[in-house]
Amino acid sequence: MHDLRTAGATPPFPAAPPPPTAGDPAPDFELVANGTATRLSSLRGSPVVLVLHNPEWDPARREQIDAFNRLLASLPAAAEQRLITVGAAHPWLELEFDTSRVALPVIRDDDGSIAQAYGVHDTPAVFVIDERGIVRWTHMGRTPPREGDIIAALTSFAARDEPRSSSWNRREFIATVLGVAASLTISPRLAVAERIAAASTAPGAARAVTLNVNGRQLRLTLEPRVSLLDALREYAGLTGTKKGCDHGQCGACTVHVDGRRTLSCLTFAMMHEGQQITTIEGLAASAGTSGNTLHPMQQAFIKHDGFQCGYCTPGQIMSASAMIHEPWGAADSDVREAMSGNICRCGAYPGIVAAIQEVRANAADGEHGQ
Amino acid sequence: MISFDYVPVDDLRAASAAGAHAHTRFIAGGTTLVDLMRLGVERPTTVIDLNVLARKDASLTAVSDLPDGRLRLGALAHMSDVAWDRRVRDRYALVSEALLLAASGQVRNMATIGGNVLQRTRCPYFRDVTQACNKRVPGSGCGAIAGRNREQAILGTSEQCIATHPSDLAVALAALDAHVHVRGTSGERVIPFTRLHVVPDAHPDRETVLRPGDVITAIDLPSGIPARSTYLKVRDRASFAFALASAAVALDVSGGTIRAARVALGGVGTKPWRSPEAERALVGKAANDAAFHAAAEAALAEARPHRDNAFKVELAKRTLVRALTEVSA
Repeated sequence: MHDLRTAGATPPFPAAPPPPTAGDPAPDFELVANGTATRLSSLRGSPVVLVLHNPEWDPARREQIDAFNRLLASLPAAAEQRLITVGAAHPWLELEFDTSRVALPVIRDDDGSIAQAYGVHDTPAVFVIDERGIVRWTHMGRTPPREGDIIAALTSFAARDEPRSSSWNRREFIATVLGVAASLTISPRLAVAERIAAASTAPGAARAVTLNVNGRQLRLTLEPRVSLLDALREYAGLTGTKKGCDHGQCGACTVHVDGRRTLSCLTFAMMHEGQQITTIEGLAASAGTSGNTLHPMQQAFIKHDGFQCGYCTPGQIMSASAMIHEPWGAADSDVREAMSGNICRCGAYPGIVAAIQEVRANAADGEHGQ
Repeated sequence: MISFDYVPVDDLRAASAAGAHAHTRFIAGGTTLVDLMRLGVERPTTVIDLNVLARKDASLTAVSDLPDGRLRLGALAHMSDVAWDRRVRDRYALVSEALLLAASGQVRNMATIGGNVLQRTRCPYFRDVTQACNKRVPGSGCGAIAGRNREQAILGTSEQCIATHPSDLAVALAALDAHVHVRGTSGERVIPFTRLHVVPDAHPDRETVLRPGDVITAIDLPSGIPARSTYLKVRDRASFAFALASAAVALDVSGGTIRAARVALGGVGTKPWRSPEAERALVGKAANDAAFHAAAEAALAEARPHRDNAFKVELAKRTLVRALTEVSA
């Protein structure tokens, strides 16, 4: 590639076409799917949702995950397997949840040609393309679209397209996320490839991180500065762990790391590869309970009214369920001291202490009985 | 939070070399560093993670008996592991108590021994980047001296800084004459604990004698310390608060006479405040109220209170008297 920086006054790219609007044919481009090169046009027969985003609009962020969860929930289960599998060399964000799995294939638009073809420069954009390759709905702007809008767009053209409606409905589409990480340039005059190269070597660049959360391997793409708390809430979609003070003073963010209670706000996610992380979502399973049975500490909090508004409760329960394995004395005052890192603004402390003491007593009985 | 480069290391030599560069910070438990980075007080461009090293080299996280009777605390051992260790509880009660009276259960599970003694002050002017602070920005002034200074120090202060050293553990270690093992770019060395920290004088940004690239690898607790010891901490609430005043004391009393004494104060000094004056006032005296009060007067003789923290002079005296009374009972 010639050095575009020496190109003088000549713009590095030809003038960009305007973005396609409803009714326009979707510009074709090459992508790697299922390990082989193919083209967008080869996907005809199924609608495609194309999302172009820059790093600030990460598809793994919570609102995106929630949107895709709801999208997938409206599909038959088989649709999950119809997501395009992008070549292994590309980023592949796979997120597992208790009942669903969200796979977000990301194709890097390294030379900026896809963004160029779709007239996208500096804002995220969503294009809903119908099964004949016609753009049916677009969204551009800093605010993410609502998933309802995307479903509505799919539904509307599914209903209109008589010839295909009998063999196809909105539940049978390939939800494809095509990301162009770092390639939607603020200044289109800068060489896109160079910007990507700079981004991938810059200090603090995001990289793949595998976290074991609640017994599942989560592959996330995170910058070093992402706290374990933010990784859980904003990237993995596990919002049971709460953000209170974000400074280690309230305990709302308490999780277990290798069985020990830990403040997820005061540690970076990257530091915990290879460790077992348990959140409130996985607490019951970690104790060996199955189905819909709650952890004994959860049950005790309910029984003893150990909460009012509930915001501190996940942290209280995670802290309590680890504290009972620490060598504290038997008195209520020991419980209060041991739990002093968890603040409850509603003042549910008497119920919290009672719940913990009951679980400790039951555990002691169980040990005596063995 | 600003962006930074994350560098995990699994080798001490590599850690020292990496840490010797400007704008780097080591991270172990992270309970101080992450907090201060989120506040914008700490702005490293590179964060060097010592936890991989800790998992690889067990000696860095172990509590181990030395042949001569000393006890070695691995610098990357967590506060909770050291606090609950049977040998620490039996032989160094003041260390166990200082640890268990500090922070919260979660923080103690994360924070390490080495990190604990290097934690930064809780002075609100240091933690607020919109305020003047000679420790954070040398030459910018001190907001606390003419401002709100109820929590600030009364011993070891200077015209530039009155920030209190926040560690409880460090006060116990100062009383014990512990030793600090340091690995630096030019090899290993041992520093007496009481010489690890420095008073602010004209350079409050300098808090210890450590040099760039230095990693604390272990802290040794001496043998033969007075048998009875305690750490007494007084604070605004019953738990999870920094000391307004604290006392780490150890006494040997036989036949009603004090044979040996160790005294250090917390919550009142710009560094963990060992008090040889108080010790001299105790040794050879009868273990009674008069001796304890004389020790307290000696310990606080040089106190320099400011507008809001004059109460600390009397509070520290009473804290020390009560600790001495309890440990000699």
